[in-house]
Amino acid sequence: MARDRPVREAENRLERFNTDRERLLNEVERRVVARRVNEAKAGGDHSLENVLNDVAFNEIRRLEASKAKHGALDHWKDLSRRLLAMTDEEKQAELRSLVRHYGGDVVGNFDPRVYKFATGIGPSLLGFVFNPITSLRQGMDTLRNLDARITADGELDLVRACAERGTIVVTPTHSSNMDSPAIGLGLLRAHLPPVTYGAGKNLFSNPFISFFMRNLGAYRVDRRLRFELYKDVLKEYSTVLLEHGYHSLFFPGGTRCRSNIVEKHLKLGLLGTTVTAYKNSVREGAPNKRIYIVPVTINYRLVLEAETLIADYLAETGKSRFIITDDEFSRIGRILEFFRKILVHEGSVVVRFGRPLDVFGNDITDDGESIDRAGRIVDPASFVRGADGEVTDDDQRDSEYTRALGRRLAAAYPRLTVFHSTNLAARALYDLIAKAVGTRDVYRLLRAPAAQLGVRITDAIEELVRLRSRIAAHPEWGAEHPSYTGQSADEKLADAVHGLGTYHTRPAVVRQGEMLQVEDLKLLYYYQNRTAHIPPEAA
Amino acid sequence: MTRRADTVGIIGAGTFGTALASVLARSGRRVILWSRDAAVVQSIQTSRRSPRLPVAPLPAPLEATSDPRRLAAEARFLVLAVSSTNVRDRSRELGDVLDGSHIVVHAVGALATPNNERVSEVMTQGLPTLKLGVLAGPALAADLVEGQFASMVVASAFDEVVAEARRLLNVPPALRLYGSHDLVGVELASALSGAYVIALGLCDGLGMTAGPRAVLITRAIAEAARLGAAAGAEARTFSGLAGLGNILVRSSSDRSADYLLGRRLADGVITADSVRTEGARAAIAGCDLAKQLRVRMPVLLGVAAVLSGKLDPKDAAQLVGDNVASEE
Repeated sequence: MARDRPVREAENRLERFNTDRERLLNEVERRVVARRVNEAKAGGDHSLENVLNDVAFNEIRRLEASKAKHGALDHWKDLSRRLLAMTDEEKQAELRSLVRHYGGDVVGNFDPRVYKFATGIGPSLLGFVFNPITSLRQGMDTLRNLDARITADGELDLVRACAERGTIVVTPTHSSNMDSPAIGLGLLRAHLPPVTYGAGKNLFSNPFISFFMRNLGAYRVDRRLRFELYKDVLKEYSTVLLEHGYHSLFFPGGTRCRSNIVEKHLKLGLLGTTVTAYKNSVREGAPNKRIYIVPVTINYRLVLEAETLIADYLAETGKSRFIITDDEFSRIGRILEFFRKILVHEGSVVVRFGRPLDVFGNDITDDGESIDRAGRIVDPASFVRGADGEVTDDDQRDSEYTRALGRRLAAAYPRLTVFHSTNLAARALYDLIAKAVGTRDVYRLLRAPAAQLGVRITDAIEELVRLRSRIAAHPEWGAEHPSYTGQSADEKLADAVHGLGTYHTRPAVVRQGEMLQVEDLKLLYYYQNRTAHIPPEAA
Repeated sequence: MTRRADTVGIIGAGTFGTALASVLARSGRRVILWSRDAAVVQSIQTSRRSPRLPVAPLPAPLEATSDPRRLAAEARFLVLAVSSTNVRDRSRELGDVLDGSHIVVHAVGALATPNNERVSEVMTQGLPTLKLGVLAGPALAADLVEGQFASMVVASAFDEVVAEARRLLNVPPALRLYGSHDLVGVELASALSGAYVIALGLCDGLGMTAGPRAVLITRAIAEAARLGAAAGAEARTFSGLAGLGNILVRSSSDRSADYLLGRRLADGVITADSVRTEGARAAIAGCDLAKQLRVRMPVLLGVAAVLSGKLDPKDAAQLVGDNVASEE
């Protein structure tokens, strides 16, 4: 571990954010307005009148739906009315003011004092979240045990080198509400600099959380604003941040992956701004201002909101095949339950960093140089150049590059997956039940009688042993938690049954004599889904 | 546009590469024709003819070279026109001199050996650029040389590749270029068409009439489209230029090696060379792919069985016919 290898330059980047803030906003405003004014020359859908009308129309619809106060609504109605009579200069002025308004809404802040405070206290807070504390003494032990509980591993030296040489974009899998704090802590433990990231505006509604988020480099993304101009501002802000060397974080899977399956289809979204930012740097004569995309997996032993996530997933995927048989918990009960669980039961998370890629999805050498599939060094700037070395603009090409990057990221995730005892035991039990019932279809298994959901412990152990040896032979599928590879199958199973049986509102699995009885097949399915990319054993 | 932007580099001075170079050069397009064989290069420079297709004139401004660096430096747009067995080696070789700005479209109507991958997949492993495409369709080398109205389709995920191919290779009326985004579909359609042309040669050699011939063609297109859909392609691509177009032109020409192979098989002439045509290789490769993707392909299986000697050509029609007849 290169604990003594500081990344001062990188860390200083977010520290200078506050002085940069106005400059960044001006840049966003200048670019978006210039582009829109230029595009408006083509007329039709691109005319400024249309752009402004799109904003007004969407804002009116949103405010009417949310039963907002009349003042705000009147402002947009007034704009909509005035549009026809406005001169070109007035439209440009209105556009400028709107871009500035939305830019100001999006932009984040970074307060080094808050960062220092949060990184000092954060691990302890998160330590409590992930660990059992029943007394102060145990709490202190917990803090000392943090190393075993929250781990960051993988290609840390290389990622650190990339963060020193260029700008890193951390792209983790996304499965839980805990992902943002977990990755924040993962970066800290890996001695990597803090990153800026877009967070849903709803997370800013709590003043306490909002204060921390704003001052730790998060910027606001308002998912209710669906018009093009807002997306433009958001993308441009992300692009400008990257060009200025601010390390960033995107969840390429979009929203939380509800099934717990290692993500295969990525939404990309803001990831596309990495190609744009790099292209702009090449055009500015700085082809060595590299951007590195870092695949990361966040792997939980137990996922707090697993029950809700998997219920959502099954209802969405299976549509009418899934019959909801249980009521939602009352709100208060749910919240109390949540705290009880995180305080009493063991959690553990591994944040695993993979080898970074360049923005075109190329691998890189240990020195951060891009290499092609045959291992030859290739100049990344050439990917955005035309026949005579000039930098060319081509949005379709750039989104194709981003899709290629997305495919490489999706291909990198399985190898980076870390299996906890819960995932392995759930898979072993699921396989045995599927074999007994004669189908792997979760909807059919959900209707299986309880008698078919019991597994002999000896069988489960045997299955687990086989699964572990198959995984050991296929590093491309991922690996067991590094701290527990020495665990025997009995210990692993017992550990998983303990976690799965006590963490959630309803036990997923309980031991009954020599049998393990699956009480909640949905949860079992959720935990085994982490291994879904591992094919069933050939008969 | 500059000289480099307006130059087409062609890799491989075989039959198709030479014919394409000829039709482009005759329309005034600057062409750099690359061949590994110094004697071929020498011959082109001195006699303006390639020994591989001497009927095709190769006038200036065409230039020949065996220097890959020169090719990469003087042309950004390249056409890879080599046999499927050479795709891997040529890609690796070229990869040493190309960069991310180059555009490479291949004109290989087959799947690559030994793993039956699509040619663009093999190119991805050897070339640094991601801007790849495929050129396919019913343009026989002889037609190009004779100046017949030929048409081809270029497919790529990149708009830029399609646009550049159409800008540089479209020389009407001798050659017209269509565009498509279905890279997988055009590659598979083009590769499989060779296998079906063998089947049609066999069918004609056995003296079958127009009716069964029409059934064979429609069933071939249907099963190829099924395979395509399973591989992520668009089904309609198979009834386009690269699929149906290729089958029709090659199965009515005595100039097609695949068609002649089919006719020889009908005559009972099977030699070790039988499986050396691109169509024969595509039949074997296509069957592997069909097995992998679990797609039923009775026509292709029949061709492969005849080629490997497991099925008597005379029994093939009956057997294939029995297997294809199901829901339309």
